[in-house]
Amino acid sequence: MNKKLIKFTLNDKEYKVEVEPQVLLVDLIREELGLTGTKVGCGEGECGACTVIMDGKTVNSCMVLAVTVDGKKITTIEGLAKGEELHPLQKSFVEEGAVQCGFCTPGMILSSKALLDENPNPTPEEIKKGLSGNLCRCTGYAKIVKAVEKASKELNK
Amino acid sequence: MSQLKVVGQNVKKKDVKEKVLGTAIFAADIKMDGMLYGKTLRSKVPHGIVKKINVSQALELPGVHAVLTEQDIPGVNKAGIIVKDEPVLVGIGQRIRKIGDPLAIVAAETEEIAEAALDLIEVEVEELPAVFSPLDAMKDDAPKLYEKGNIMAVRRIVKGDVAEAFKNCDVIVEQDYTTSMVEHAYIETEAGVAKMEGDVVNVWVCTQNPHYDRKDVAYNLNIGLNQARIIQTTTGGGFGGKLDVTVHVHVALLAKATKRPVKMVYSRRESISNTVKRHPFIMKYKTGCDKDGKLIAWQTEIIGDTGAYASYGPGTLTRAAVHATGPYEIPNVKVEAYTVYTNNPQAGAMRGFGVPQVAFAHESQMNLLAEKLGISPLEIRMKNAFIPGSITATGSKLEHSVGLKSTMESAKQAAEKVLGDKF
Amino acid sequence: MKKRGVGLANMWYGIGNTGLPNPASAYIELLDDGTVIVLTGCADIGQGSTTTLAQIAAEEMGVDIEDVRVVSADTGITPDAGATSASRQTYISGNAVKMAAKEAKTILVETAARMLEVDEDSLILEDRKIVVKNDKDKFVKIKECLGKCRAEGKLTLGHGWFNPDVTALNPEDGQGKPYATYAFATQVAEVEVNTETGEVKVLKIFAAHDVGKAINPINVEGQIEGGCMIGVGFALMEQVKVDKGNIKTPNLATYLIPTAMDTPEIYPIIVEDPEVTGPFGAKGVGEPALIPTAAAIVNAIYDAVGVRITDLPVTPEKLLKEIKKERN
Repeated sequence: MNKKLIKFTLNDKEYKVEVEPQVLLVDLIREELGLTGTKVGCGEGECGACTVIMDGKTVNSCMVLAVTVDGKKITTIEGLAKGEELHPLQKSFVEEGAVQCGFCTPGMILSSKALLDENPNPTPEEIKKGLSGNLCRCTGYAKIVKAVEKASKELNK
Repeated sequence: MSQLKVVGQNVKKKDVKEKVLGTAIFAADIKMDGMLYGKTLRSKVPHGIVKKINVSQALELPGVHAVLTEQDIPGVNKAGIIVKDEPVLVGIGQRIRKIGDPLAIVAAETEEIAEAALDLIEVEVEELPAVFSPLDAMKDDAPKLYEKGNIMAVRRIVKGDVAEAFKNCDVIVEQDYTTSMVEHAYIETEAGVAKMEGDVVNVWVCTQNPHYDRKDVAYNLNIGLNQARIIQTTTGGGFGGKLDVTVHVHVALLAKATKRPVKMVYSRRESISNTVKRHPFIMKYKTGCDKDGKLIAWQTEIIGDTGAYASYGPGTLTRAAVHATGPYEIPNVKVEAYTVYTNNPQAGAMRGFGVPQVAFAHESQMNLLAEKLGISPLEIRMKNAFIPGSITATGSKLEHSVGLKSTMESAKQAAEKVLGDKF
Repeated sequence: MKKRGVGLANMWYGIGNTGLPNPASAYIELLDDGTVIVLTGCADIGQGSTTTLAQIAAEEMGVDIEDVRVVSADTGITPDAGATSASRQTYISGNAVKMAAKEAKTILVETAARMLEVDEDSLILEDRKIVVKNDKDKFVKIKECLGKCRAEGKLTLGHGWFNPDVTALNPEDGQGKPYATYAFATQVAEVEVNTETGEVKVLKIFAAHDVGKAINPINVEGQIEGGCMIGVGFALMEQVKVDKGNIKTPNLATYLIPTAMDTPEIYPIIVEDPEVTGPFGAKGVGEPALIPTAAAIVNAIYDAVGVRITDLPVTPEKLLKEIKKERN
């Protein structure tokens, strides 16, 4: 098939890959590049488990064709920690008990990051709205909202 | 006792770092050399006899490594937690009891090829009349799913004499309640990978009970329990829905047949459409008390639609029966709980096991009684709440750790503090 | 118009399988450096059983939580712990782990008693030491004591299994002792009903749960909060629609579950009425967390608008119809 060469930045690293036109971004990330932190929960853009950040905005990577990321900047959950040091959001999710099964966690943290990048001081209502595209069945969201509040304070220090 | 040092502390979860880093490995994340992908062909009709399954065209598709039917199962071809009534694959001459019953499984180089192979399998089914309402299914002239009839189990609890006791009640409320079928909706769908190592089949799978899974895998592959190794992968929620086997036996069969690792991941649609649900309940409640609000007589009938196979059905209905009268001491009780087969999707375990359904009913009843008596919902509960020494409807004495009055007090205080006189 | 109401509901929940044997087992090995490996069949599905069992082992062995590694749910390695269901693992596997830890430390304590020239009964294990209860300056470090054990050719292993004390229910009248212990809970919900649309918003849930003893309070809170939200879904929105055996809501666009926007303020309240047969007094909380929620919400809706819904879920259409009926 007619593969297309695309260039993009993933977690601050330059990539040049050939992809078939029908390949989804989530499959490129998980299957070809082996970064399985991005999860598939529904494949229909409803659950948010496959959330990644593309040029500062969150997208459901199961709804995006890989070829469209040409020239773009992508962040996945693997791109957040700096070596051994967790990102403040990762830290606050740990400390606040915001993780149970962990399947929604990568997407949840990335949506939180995009939210805080845009709005460094969100109210609890704004956090809930910002995370409304990410489903979690375990936590009831309460500790997740607290974790985002905590991280926002930490990041504003 | 000396002072506790670790128990009672907010210790961080042992696996939390991997989960926030995205490095925790769930079943769908596993990749092995030479790994094939499995898919399941399922019934489109709710009730019928399989007349023909022709897999020859599917087998010829390049990239297909195995297409298995019931004839390829070395063992019992049965699964099920309480009763072994579920076929692993429905074979020719055998009965389909619900839409989604598995008929054949395929292992291929890619998911796409496996999917395409499913379309090449020819199936003929002679449809049978089906029944979709548990009330209809209980009738004598209903289409029968099993020889012994559609009433899978009945659980009775009798304490005292309710008929006599209702005559002495000052207030009686009677009400029917129904609840919906509910999906677990864990964010991780069912997934697993199987691989042979010598004569041992390893199955990496999301599960709530690896030791039960081992039995179903071993008995269906006709191998020793020590030859089936189930390794739980990081599991993305369960809520009761990952107690039944789903991909487990299928990937094991395919791995054994192909001598290659085989992975199966259910799509969200496949997961919702084919795995167990919370039992929808139909409940009849009659509750009576004296003029002071003291409960005297309590009668409940529960009908639970367990769908085509039992799964945890009788366990759910038994637990519902035991808990049907709420945490209250009542001298006269009669409960009957029916587990009923229909050609609906299968119901099984879901967080609460039948108790959320009955709690909705018994707590509605308590409020109805309180209103008739002109007392508060809290007061009627306080009058009847279990305390140490109380005897339950099954005749067991609660000896210790009966904190119900404390939870009522605590909830009341917390609510009053925030809501003020609204509570 | 928006009307508010408050509702209350109780629940009880028997821990473990109903009137059936449901044992769990565990192995423990205390290693040369004083660290511990726990082998348990108990599957952690996100609720945190691995951590809870590690805490129980650490407490019983007198080591730090970091010293304990739990290997779980691998039938090639770990012994059977039964299902992660029926809110049973803290109580049943917790007891199994505690018993295994007790056995693993017997030789350690016997050796320490000789080293310190005191009675075994006078010793307790804490802070990685074996300490004389009434004279805490007198102790031997666990690691040193293990050195002595090894020099004497003694290993420090333990196994444990626990089956709750139950009897089968009589098939005729259901009499028997189905569970060894029960969890209890009370929840209060505050709701706001939009009488024009029938929409219900759950504003607050006060959830008081008698868990016996919270081994890990923040995880118990997490169970309560998560349970409440499954209860909110059960009460207000969740319904698998089936037509002639065919599921009509096969994806998350048609089968709706609560999102962060649906979250009320949840106040988890931990009540500890210790269970004498539980590990450190613990019972369970996983399922109790959601059981009274729907009932509390339905009672709160009645308090708000005087309409009692007896068919779950309380969808806006259903409630609006009943509100209109009530008006006429």
